[in-house]
Amino acid sequence: MGHYRYAIIGNSAAAIHACEAIREVDPNGSVAVFSEERYRCYSRPLISYLLAGKIGAAGMYLRRPDFYRFLEIDFFPGGKVISVDPAKKALKLSSGRIVYWDRLLLSTGFEPFIPSVEGLSSTKYFTFTNWDDAKKLMRVARGPFRALVMGAGLIGMKAAEALHARGGRVVVVEKAERILPAALDPVASSMVAERCRAEGLDLITGCTVVQVRQDSGTGGVAVLEDGSEVEFDLLVVAAGVKPRSELAVEAGIPCLGGAVRVDLHQRTAVPDVFAAGDVSAALDKVIGGPQVNALWPIAALQGRFAGLNMAGRVCSYPGGIPMNSVEFFGLPVLSAGLVNPPDGRYRVLSRHYEDGSYRRLVLDGDRLVGMMVVGAVEGAGIFTSLIREGVSVRGFARSLTEADFGYAHMSRSLRKRRFEAELLRGKQVLGFRKERI
Amino acid sequence: MKRIIPREEYCTDCRLCEVYCSFSHTQEIDLVLAYRNGLLKNGRVRVSSRGPVSFAVQCRHCQEAPCVLACLAGAMGRERESGRVTHDPSRCVGCWTCILVCPYGAVRRSEDGSGVVSKCDLCPDLAVPACVEHCPNGALVVVDLEGDG
Ligand SMILES: Cc1cc2nc3c(=O)[nH]c(=O)nc-3n(C[C@H](O)[C@H](O)[C@H](O)COP(=O)(O)OP(=O)(O)OC[C@H]3O[C@@H](n4cnc5c(N)ncnc54)[C@H](O)[C@@H]3O)c2cc1C
Repeated sequence: MGHYRYAIIGNSAAAIHACEAIREVDPNGSVAVFSEERYRCYSRPLISYLLAGKIGAAGMYLRRPDFYRFLEIDFFPGGKVISVDPAKKALKLSSGRIVYWDRLLLSTGFEPFIPSVEGLSSTKYFTFTNWDDAKKLMRVARGPFRALVMGAGLIGMKAAEALHARGGRVVVVEKAERILPAALDPVASSMVAERCRAEGLDLITGCTVVQVRQDSGTGGVAVLEDGSEVEFDLLVVAAGVKPRSELAVEAGIPCLGGAVRVDLHQRTAVPDVFAAGDVSAALDKVIGGPQVNALWPIAALQGRFAGLNMAGRVCSYPGGIPMNSVEFFGLPVLSAGLVNPPDGRYRVLSRHYEDGSYRRLVLDGDRLVGMMVVGAVEGAGIFTSLIREGVSVRGFARSLTEADFGYAHMSRSLRKRRFEAELLRGKQVLGFRKERI
Repeated sequence: MKRIIPREEYCTDCRLCEVYCSFSHTQEIDLVLAYRNGLLKNGRVRVSSRGPVSFAVQCRHCQEAPCVLACLAGAMGRERESGRVTHDPSRCVGCWTCILVCPYGAVRRSEDGSGVVSKCDLCPDLAVPACVEHCPNGALVVVDLEGDG
């Protein structure tokens, strides 16, 4: 069939949650999912666990094998879309086939950003964003090997940790003064760095790679800013990601800073074309405007709202906040919102605990706008929800750094409201047996 | 579908809910033996207390569960019929994203060294969840909510 009610480009976080949401509202409308990759829906963040040998291929999949059949969705693995025509409501696959749609979702995600470094284009390097990347690395990263990772963001550090677990000697070079500069504050960053170094990772910060040279196979030499040289058997480039908005750009769909612009219903400026996930710039609650937050939970939530709206249940995306959960060598770090405030307007509470844990909370007046916990991470989601919902913390702000901070520290009315909100939502109210409580 | 509701007016911070939750999730049949063998950990319910205020918190089995949406591994799910939010430890990789997004702080890292999370499962094999059954004060009750699960 060449015509679908819903066509979805991409097959990851945003896409599968959109599929599930569409089926919640519209059990019958035809759905097609096009993926350039050969795999059924799997988790990209898990490629580092796969590379490290912590999980096998079976652990990569997000849904059961019969997911598409169960939801009556036509899945096109290896179905790369090469163009979209919003006027004709058509899309074209690399096979030349044309498919028509009534509503289209762009959930094409992100791709690695490759910096311009002398010699890089003529050097064999690896990226680390999808399953095939992990497979390629698994073929070469065996036996004794030396790896150089460019970039100490989340993806670079995950790659470094996994390569280390495979027995490699790993050097990470980061331009910023510290590792994980965006997600962590300087204290947490140095806590993680200390742990990584103790395990044997070599972290070079405040320094860039200015030139690379290939020797043999995948091996070569990198020249750093300070003139020193690092030899490697394999090179991983993890210098950031960028939205994969080329289809949208070519189709004339308005973008913002490289990402597809969407409204609160995940609609693009072009009728019947929606976008969700890392390819789109949607409402960020902390900055109060559109922003790309290239994160799995945000892609999933946007996908869900895109799906609901595409299928006709009009509802507004509540907005997302940046958030991260990372663990390196057994040290967990969870963060949400604004961790590194831009100016002195914010109040920062931070505390170290006896068990080695650390907590940092950022307040804007009576509102919590950022949080980060290292070590004892239990209960961190309470902070995340206070940030997301903009709840006033007046009256209990000082308790936020107490080790056992929880609902008991909030006012009774706030607590009741938050506890009952879930129960009183929607039609459940009808079935609420009041006499039993 | 079942939900557990805390009633803070009746809670005395005795933490028997924590004890019986842990116990009911062991294979042991004797509470004292379970304690001696160090098995009474990993409680999926926690009492939050401050001064005279205390009450038990466990997974609320949210209808729009943030953990299900955010799970990187497809380990968190929601059973349509019962409305239970389920966790499959065999799929969990211990990324702690659920801990990051749970508004109730009800998901915890497992204390048994398995590297996964644990949370309330509503005691699917029991008529009444263990924490509710063993609360001496009626500070935890089960309510039935009708609806589509
Ligand atoms: C190593 C690593 C670790 C990560 N860890 C975390 C983490 O711990 N926490 C977190 O929140 N996030 C993490 N992320 C980020 C997370 O993976 C992304 O935010 C998420 O995958 C975004 O989902 P998405 O659906 O928007 O797009 P993507 O996952 O990018 O999927 C887009 C899909 O669309 C396909 N596609 C693109 N163009 C076309 C086309 N023209 N035709 C057909 N198909 C196309 C792509 O092949 C891809 O399958 C990590 C990412 C990586 C790489």
